[in-house]
Amino acid sequence: MRRTRPRTWLPAAHPHRALAAGAVLLLAAGPAALVPAPTPTASPGPTPTAAAGPAGPRDRGSQLYLASCASCHGPQGQGTQQGPSLIDVGAASVDFQVSTGRMPLTHVEQEARRGKPAFSAEDIAALVDHVSSFGGGPQIPRVAPGNLNSGRELFAANCAPCHATTGAGAVLTNGWIAPPVYDATPVQVAEAIRVGPGLMPVFPSQVLSDAQVNDLTTYVERLRSERLDRGGNPLGRLGPLAEGLVGWLVALVALVGAIRWLGRRAGQ
Amino acid sequence: MIIDRLARALDDRLRLSPITRRALAKVFPDHWTFMLGEIALYSFVALILTGVYLTFFFDASSADRVYRGDYAPLDGATTSAAYASAVRLSWDVRAGLLIRQTHHWAALLFVAAILLHLCRIFFTGAFRKPRELNWLIGVTMLALALANGFTGYSMPDDLLSGLGLRIIVSVVESIPLVGTWLVALGLGGEFPSDYLIPRMFITHVLLVPALLVALVSLHLGILVRQKHSQFPSPGRTEHNVVGSRLWPSYTLRTLALFAWVLAVLFALGGLVQINPIWLYGPFEPSQSTSPAQPDWYVAWGDGALRLFPPWEFRIAGYLVPAPFFPGVVLGAFTFLALYAWPFFERLCTRDRRPHQLLDRPRDHPVRLGVGVGALTFFVVLVVAAGDDILARLLRVPVYDLLDLFRVLALVLPVLTGLAAYLIARALRRGDAASFGELTRADLRRSAGPAPAPRAEEGGVETPARDRPGERVELWPEGGLWRWRYRDEAERVVLTTNRAVRSEEEAVEASRLAYPGVDRVVVPGPPPPPPPGRLRTALRRWGRAAAAGSLLVGLFADRRRRGQRDGDRGPQPPAPAEPGSPPADEAATPGGRP
Amino acid sequence: MSARRPSPAERAAGRRIVTAFLASTAGAIGFAVVYALNAGPQWEGVCLAVAFAGLAVGLAQWGRHLVPVGGSVEEHEGFTPPPDEQAMTAAVLTAPDSPIRRRGLLAALGLAVAALGVAVLFPVRSLLPWNRRSPAQEFSSTPWGPGVRLVDEQGRPLRPEDVPANTLVGVFPEGAVDSGDGPAFAVRLDPERFIRPPSGGHLGGLVVWSLLCTHAGCPVRLYLKGTGRLLCPCHQSSFDLLADARPVAGPAARPLPGLPFEVGPDGFLRATGDFTAPPGAGFWRRQ
Repeated sequence: MRRTRPRTWLPAAHPHRALAAGAVLLLAAGPAALVPAPTPTASPGPTPTAAAGPAGPRDRGSQLYLASCASCHGPQGQGTQQGPSLIDVGAASVDFQVSTGRMPLTHVEQEARRGKPAFSAEDIAALVDHVSSFGGGPQIPRVAPGNLNSGRELFAANCAPCHATTGAGAVLTNGWIAPPVYDATPVQVAEAIRVGPGLMPVFPSQVLSDAQVNDLTTYVERLRSERLDRGGNPLGRLGPLAEGLVGWLVALVALVGAIRWLGRRAGQ
Repeated sequence: MIIDRLARALDDRLRLSPITRRALAKVFPDHWTFMLGEIALYSFVALILTGVYLTFFFDASSADRVYRGDYAPLDGATTSAAYASAVRLSWDVRAGLLIRQTHHWAALLFVAAILLHLCRIFFTGAFRKPRELNWLIGVTMLALALANGFTGYSMPDDLLSGLGLRIIVSVVESIPLVGTWLVALGLGGEFPSDYLIPRMFITHVLLVPALLVALVSLHLGILVRQKHSQFPSPGRTEHNVVGSRLWPSYTLRTLALFAWVLAVLFALGGLVQINPIWLYGPFEPSQSTSPAQPDWYVAWGDGALRLFPPWEFRIAGYLVPAPFFPGVVLGAFTFLALYAWPFFERLCTRDRRPHQLLDRPRDHPVRLGVGVGALTFFVVLVVAAGDDILARLLRVPVYDLLDLFRVLALVLPVLTGLAAYLIARALRRGDAASFGELTRADLRRSAGPAPAPRAEEGGVETPARDRPGERVELWPEGGLWRWRYRDEAERVVLTTNRAVRSEEEAVEASRLAYPGVDRVVVPGPPPPPPPGRLRTALRRWGRAAAAGSLLVGLFADRRRRGQRDGDRGPQPPAPAEPGSPPADEAATPGGRP
Repeated sequence: MSARRPSPAERAAGRRIVTAFLASTAGAIGFAVVYALNAGPQWEGVCLAVAFAGLAVGLAQWGRHLVPVGGSVEEHEGFTPPPDEQAMTAAVLTAPDSPIRRRGLLAALGLAVAALGVAVLFPVRSLLPWNRRSPAQEFSSTPWGPGVRLVDEQGRPLRPEDVPANTLVGVFPEGAVDSGDGPAFAVRLDPERFIRPPSGGHLGGLVVWSLLCTHAGCPVRLYLKGTGRLLCPCHQSSFDLLADARPVAGPAARPLPGLPFEVGPDGFLRATGDFTAPPGAGFWRRQ
């Protein structure tokens, strides 16, 4: 019933980033790497200068950070003019931003949008570990199946104003949008609730308990199921105007065509 | 046979046959635009049929109800009875969702067809004397259709329609002096009120539909009494109606259209989801969803609400809120303008003659310009109602779009109206037959002063009285009389829609239809009317199935009759044009070209 | 003149018609089967559509190919009656004993009918129950008042610390969570950034405003964290919370009314009065 998001991604998703990540990996692996490393010319960040050493996840996280994040967020996560500080953002935030492909940005002006993640799951975990070492902040929430009914109510009360009751998302001001919730995994949904990425409000545990977050993630999972569109083609769940457009384009065209044909004499 | 006997029995008691004969012979113009109103009519029938089914399951009440059913996210939730029963109808009643969706699609189509019909009537001047009354009735029905669409959309008590209701309540509330009283009386208190859904229900299923049925009947009654208007062409005058008879041709075609309307509606109802109230959730006064739009036919109001600037003012300390102008004034002005147009136009043109022949849109550039401009304005408003969806799809700031639409709503109608006006003038005075043939020179000239009035209102009196080759032929046929009109030059042959009992009646009818045209009595009938073609065709198709002998009998009978007819006298000359009806009916085995 | 045999075209039309009607029959049977099997709205719709489309095609072919189309003319009498006809009708209506001539009686009748017409309008007032204040008063007041505690959607009273920064918490008057004009929201802002002080006052940056848009009454719940702006989903009015929720864009013209509140002796938030202005859309007698 559900499209499961692959847990591991091929690093070939984004050529530049993949190349950079591959280079970093090889460097981190140090002498163990038998294959000659390609020169990391495509690396967007400063060339990592980590010394060869025992390859642990922490080192990998550090390498990845320096390669892909440090140019904007600073080598110690203190932030620069181009990017905010990462101190105390917490593991949930980093995991959300990176696993939804919003970070790293290829250039500074770019708007953070959902895309294919640049790193594999292991790399993301390493990166998250590294950034969380800068300070505290919300941890990656553990999600469990919750109550669908309560989830629906919570979604309507807290999420629907921006993401629409249908989960299709909506526009905000200045060209920003509240994205559709269909692509997010339960963990990402929970992270977004706790962290409030971008313009989204934060819902800490005083506002939504862990159990309520579980209910919400369960409902969001359900919401993207096509079985909820019992009536047929959902038209993007865009609402009455899309339906009106179909009414004019399909129904009226079919009917006006029919009466034009009926109004002509046979053979004419 | 049973039908035959039943018909006779009824006729013996009510003497229906004269009325029936006339009714069956009623002539309908063949132009396709005359069927736009029928689409609306049949959508209305579909609405009643599906709507009655829905009432068996819908519980119009705001009382608390626990939903138990297949829709898991709401299973066990307490909502209003209206919402719970609507979700039940969608998820747990077999065929319920199909009927509900078909009902909603039919509503969208109903208003759309009314609108197209109204455009046809407007641009062709069909509202002129003697049809002003039907125009008024039609505009009233449009208003009622909008109102009923809105109540129907709001009744399931879902979140999206609840927002819509709240907006309409706010709009009514904004009316100076009486607004709060109107709202309070309508709702029986403040929004949201427990009285609201039952009251909307009775309005939606009884009051407005009853009014609509009465007005539809009146509309059709007046139409039958006044007969159809028609586009001008050879043989068509202010004194006749040319087309197909109700029986059998138009009956079959209109039934086909009815079935097709239902086919399209059920296809949409089954395949395209509309108003998924289970996804929207029940209405709560503190909840909202975005994007929030109404159905398309009230979207112009929503668009106007979005575009109108935040202008409010106070009169002697009393507030006139911003929604009053786009919500109330615009709506009232729109319908008042529609109601008043026939009389306004008569005032301007001083044209008090009755008109049975229609204008082509180009014949009246001012009317065309005004109509096109108004349509453009409302289209811009409808599109503006989707500015948030557009902003999201195009990834542009929504307030930029808002500003753009504010400008467009004011500028675009003027531009399109002016363009339509100039093109109409160019078409009217130039020689171009259609829009595609217009040249730039035509357009340049059209912008110049004073058009030379060409052929008085598009050639209303086209068939000149003394045109050679034009005549009416009358002939007796088995104790009855028939006549037909023939125009050799234009290759037009038009046969009377019914036989009459005496020559005098035939002369009278033909004189009414073609005053001043010469009449001749011809000895024999022109080529006989076609035999029951379908019967013959079907029988031939099933000949293998032992219908052969019957067929032979029938053919023998016809042959004998044909010979008898042939003995009577010479046939009138066959018309020259192979495509015209008598040639169609000619007894050549090849039949149709 | 020989007997008329159906032309090949007509025979072909007959075949098409029968085929269409057979398809329609198949659609109808299919619908029955699909309904019995509970195969869902899609199949039901398709089968019914096929059934009706078959009918439509068959009837249309029949009407176009097997019966004469067009070529008929009907006379149109026109609607300007001869003057003598009108005079005759008028004479009947205005005969000497005609009721129309009794002006005095007619006037009395008109008076009676008019009085009755006005009188039967009175029960319309019953649509609004009698034991109420005037609508304008009703619309101007809300369940909020001195001492009414602020509760969340589930009816739990709120403490100041239940409203963290960077979020928007829906608050309701205790005991009237479902009221139409009561919904409000609480946010925690940085008092340093206030351009204009909130009309309802604030407690260390904690502010409460009405949730209802002052344009058309929709709940304004799109909170853009960081910008301090609130967006209405219905008509895109935008309110700047840092400037006392003044409208900054879109069609709304008035700021959101604030709710004055305090921390009660029990530690929970409670209102000290009604909103600073009637919430929601404007109306004539709105003060």
